Amino acid sequence: MTWVQNLLSGVLIGAALIFMGFGVIGMFRLRNFYARILISAKVDTVGFLTMMAGIMVSAGFSFFSLKLGLITALVLLTNPIATHAIARSAHRSGYQVKRGPKDD
Amino acid sequence: MLTVVLAVLSFFGLVVMLRILLGPTVWDRLLGLNLIASKILVAIVILARLMDLAFLLDIALVYAVLGFLGTILMARFIEKRGGI
Repeated sequence: MTWVQNLLSGVLIGAALIFMGFGVIGMFRLRNFYARILISAKVDTVGFLTMMAGIMVSAGFSFFSLKLGLITALVLLTNPIATHAIARSAHRSGYQVKRGPKDD
Repeated sequence: MLTVVLAVLSFFGLVVMLRILLGPTVWDRLLGLNLIASKILVAIVILARLMDLAFLLDIALVYAVLGFLGTILMARFIEKRGGI
């Protein structure tokens, strides 16, 4: 691997870890469920995307990164749908959240 | 370098597992399950990259589809309170 590939994939994977860290922190700091699901699912999908880009860069042009592109496209499509299904099932089951002073 | 990433990922997985245990509502648990599934998916891809075996990616692909289906069905099951 050329050093450019190495550097770029390292930067991308580092950024992906930071995104995933934010996703995990978001799971704990946010008070009610709806805020939590909005933030952590979105940030986690972005972290996943960045990580896949980093590994694709480090793998270079090969069937490996072609397959990785397929997985990335699939997850980019399905992760928001799964999160929407969870939030809808919570909303439909009448899960109300009382708006605290800090929630606005 | 990728092994460090694997260690950090498993730490994140444990922390999310803590949220699954603590989660007040069942939907928090479902959300935590969804997050852990995507962490495991990334771990499989990193292992495929480390061992340089391309067929591991097929496992990751199947895992992504099954994780998605599981989450969708569980959400529906909870929403309909058992009567799918």
